[in-house]
Amino acid sequence: MIKEEIQKALTNANLSGALTRFSEAYVISRKKIYEGLDFEALREQIVSSKSYTADHLDELVNQFIKSATDNGAKVFFTQNPDEVRNYIIELAKKNNVKSVVKSKSMATEEIHLNKYLQEAGIEVNETDLGEWIIQLAGQRPSHMVLPAIHLTRHDVSDIFTKKVEPIEPDISRMVKFARKHLRRKFMTADMGITGANIAIAETGTLVVCTNEGNARLTMALPKIHVAVVGVEKLVAKIEDTFPILRTLARSATVQIITSYVSFVNAQTEHTDGSKKELHIILFDNNRSKLAKDPLFKQTFQCIRCASCLNVCPVFRIIGGHVFGRVYTGGIGTILTAWTEGLKASKDIQGLCIQCGNCVKVCPGKINIPDLILELRKKLAKEEGLNFKTKAIYSVVNNRKLFHTILRTASKLQKPFEKQGFIRHLPFFLSELTEQRSLPAIADVAFRDRFKNIKQPKSDRKALFYAGCLIDFAYPEIGEALVKLLNTAGIEVLFPEEQTCCGAPARYSGVMDVAANNSKQNVEALLSLNAEYIVSACPTCTVALKKQFIKDLIDQDYKEDVIKKAQEVSTKAIDASALINKLIKEGKINFKKSNEQTFTYHDPCHLIRSLNIYMEPRESLQSSGLKLIEMFESDTCCGMGGSYSLKFPEISGIILKRKLENIKKTGVKLVCTDCPGCVMQIRGGVDKEGLDIQVKHSLDILVERLQSNNEK
Amino acid sequence: MFELFKQKAEVVNAEVYSFNNKTDVLNFIKDFIKQNISDEVSKSVVWCYSEFLEGIDLDSLKKELPQIEFDISANSANSAKIGINQVNFGIAETGSIVEISDTLAKRLCSSLTEIHIAILPCNNILPDMESLMKKIDINAIPYMTVISGPSRTADIERVLTIGVHGPERVIILCVENF
Repeated sequence: MIKEEIQKALTNANLSGALTRFSEAYVISRKKIYEGLDFEALREQIVSSKSYTADHLDELVNQFIKSATDNGAKVFFTQNPDEVRNYIIELAKKNNVKSVVKSKSMATEEIHLNKYLQEAGIEVNETDLGEWIIQLAGQRPSHMVLPAIHLTRHDVSDIFTKKVEPIEPDISRMVKFARKHLRRKFMTADMGITGANIAIAETGTLVVCTNEGNARLTMALPKIHVAVVGVEKLVAKIEDTFPILRTLARSATVQIITSYVSFVNAQTEHTDGSKKELHIILFDNNRSKLAKDPLFKQTFQCIRCASCLNVCPVFRIIGGHVFGRVYTGGIGTILTAWTEGLKASKDIQGLCIQCGNCVKVCPGKINIPDLILELRKKLAKEEGLNFKTKAIYSVVNNRKLFHTILRTASKLQKPFEKQGFIRHLPFFLSELTEQRSLPAIADVAFRDRFKNIKQPKSDRKALFYAGCLIDFAYPEIGEALVKLLNTAGIEVLFPEEQTCCGAPARYSGVMDVAANNSKQNVEALLSLNAEYIVSACPTCTVALKKQFIKDLIDQDYKEDVIKKAQEVSTKAIDASALINKLIKEGKINFKKSNEQTFTYHDPCHLIRSLNIYMEPRESLQSSGLKLIEMFESDTCCGMGGSYSLKFPEISGIILKRKLENIKKTGVKLVCTDCPGCVMQIRGGVDKEGLDIQVKHSLDILVERLQSNNEK
Repeated sequence: MFELFKQKAEVVNAEVYSFNNKTDVLNFIKDFIKQNISDEVSKSVVWCYSEFLEGIDLDSLKKELPQIEFDISANSANSAKIGINQVNFGIAETGSIVEISDTLAKRLCSSLTEIHIAILPCNNILPDMESLMKKIDINAIPYMTVISGPSRTADIERVLTIGVHGPERVIILCVENF
């Protein structure tokens, strides 16, 4: 099902074109609009006030009810979507409401309010331009803030022409048309329904942020104003609104502030002089359960800015109709799981490539990829694994068997392998090589080569944790690392019992397998004594530093194993950081050679999980290379580990974008520090037949080493 | 403070003028109306009564400019092209004006018409939201809007269009000696 939806989205050039243009411009504009502000400080304030809300939800709900009621509003608090709808319909019936004007409210989308109102014979008019267009088209919004972003001006003119009256595809004309047409609705509506961006508990105030002026009219003109507000919108005091007001517009629409920020306490006067009514519906729908969950309660920190959607390399390709239901994108996946149930998020959670781009821009500092992974774990547990997957994982868990199979595969691949690449796999496997060529499995694995490497003896030792890709596909990277460390006076040890770091299982939520691998590795890595445990694959480095410990705790392993994992973590270091350190200490020197230009691709795990991005660049530059930065150097290459096998069509397009950015720099050399990225980008370069070298930094650095004679 | 306010307000497409005294402001408004509305028959200007108009002979003003309607209703505001009101504060950080709507009429003048003229005493320009909240008692205010420039949208192809449901132009007249 989801595969079909993805295909549909991929063939819609308008959609991905519009979203990509927006997303590329967004990052640049966002940086500008935040100039002069301390984004980190603002985020901390938001985390503080919204986590307070999560921790004191009942108290704040009660406080809000009291304050708002004292102001003259009627407040209705409910858990249940049905009760919200019934309240509104009853209210409408009681007051003979024939037509309603609505300003944008995700809470009302969540409960599909429009449908029920219409069934009750009430005319509903969306007044936010994007929402009105979508309503006429009978579609769902494709983006939380820009609902009609997937439509061109021609689409919009078609929709208006079909559903209202003929109008040409001229944007400013169409906006004027909307003003005129909807103005009539505003003037005659009996009820106005809005949401709210913030609800202040201490004063009972609703804060509504808009740009079009439609919410103001929705609140001013009809006699009855109904505001549907999710309880996560609550903050304790007025001061808590300031950091939200400083970040919401900046992150959502790259504005300093929306044209209108309304503070609503009580409505008193109706246009005919009679008393106006304000009804505030505080709506729970599982949010209080969410607030009590120790890991997921950080979701309360969401200010609904949609910046996670705007920086997501996957969202920009497939859009919100695929990547979500009511709520879309990364945060949408989490909200879907909690408001509609875990099963509802089953397909869309798989779409997250775990690149972490969203984490750095989220004003609420929500660790979206972690939470999605947690959903994945829950689903894996609940659903159980199918037989095929179980079989695969049981092999990966059994190190000797796994390595035997890989060695055998290196023989079996012969018919398909050419020049070190597998370009076309047969039959059902062909999809795997459509977008990029796979690397050949090495004739001699690194672990077998290591035995024959002659190293100078030294008191300083480093344990090399190779990881599957370097061990079996790119052993030369391992050899390069050994040479570089030897030059610096460090002897490399290779404990043979090491096995896969467990990433494929971990990122699929299969935690028992992952933890099993963690334990095996931790014991292997402490079998020999060394100063460092070095890895040249950032995904593995993150496993060594953080995830082994988490897995073992998660799966209730014994204290002593966890302690071992902590010891591994302390010693673990990424090769890029260690090499940079040694260069700075003068222990690694490079020969003089002609300057060559290169561009650098930041692996997701290296820059976002380990915060390493200057070190590789410095190392490469100190070897005499000239850096030409590419656009979006830190955007995912599309590999995502097993993601490229699960969603090759999406992975392939992300890769295409990366290749375009590389080509634009004009360089002939791309360097990176992750064998997974090497595999993806090199495979793509090969598929497109480009004259560009793709190298792991260690490969290049070892080539440019000063020879012993020159010393 | 005024300079910063003007600069930030212009960034959000508001038009900002400063005047020495109320008479100069009144003359500007009269000229503006004459230039922008030729038709003297229909009531195309709604003007919400405020402190600014104290001491001014409204009858003679109406004779001079019959386009002006002081009796504000949803219908009269909807039919008008220009809405004039006095706003309470300015916020320099964002170039915003703050409208505390004790009456519905005040709101109608700034939300329905194509052009909104906002009269603002210069002394009431505050640095930021924090200082605004210190100055007012939000509990005592039924409805307040922080307005930053005219209404806008980018919902179609992300092309910015100024003027949607609210005003297309916001003209802020700051008075030094109010």
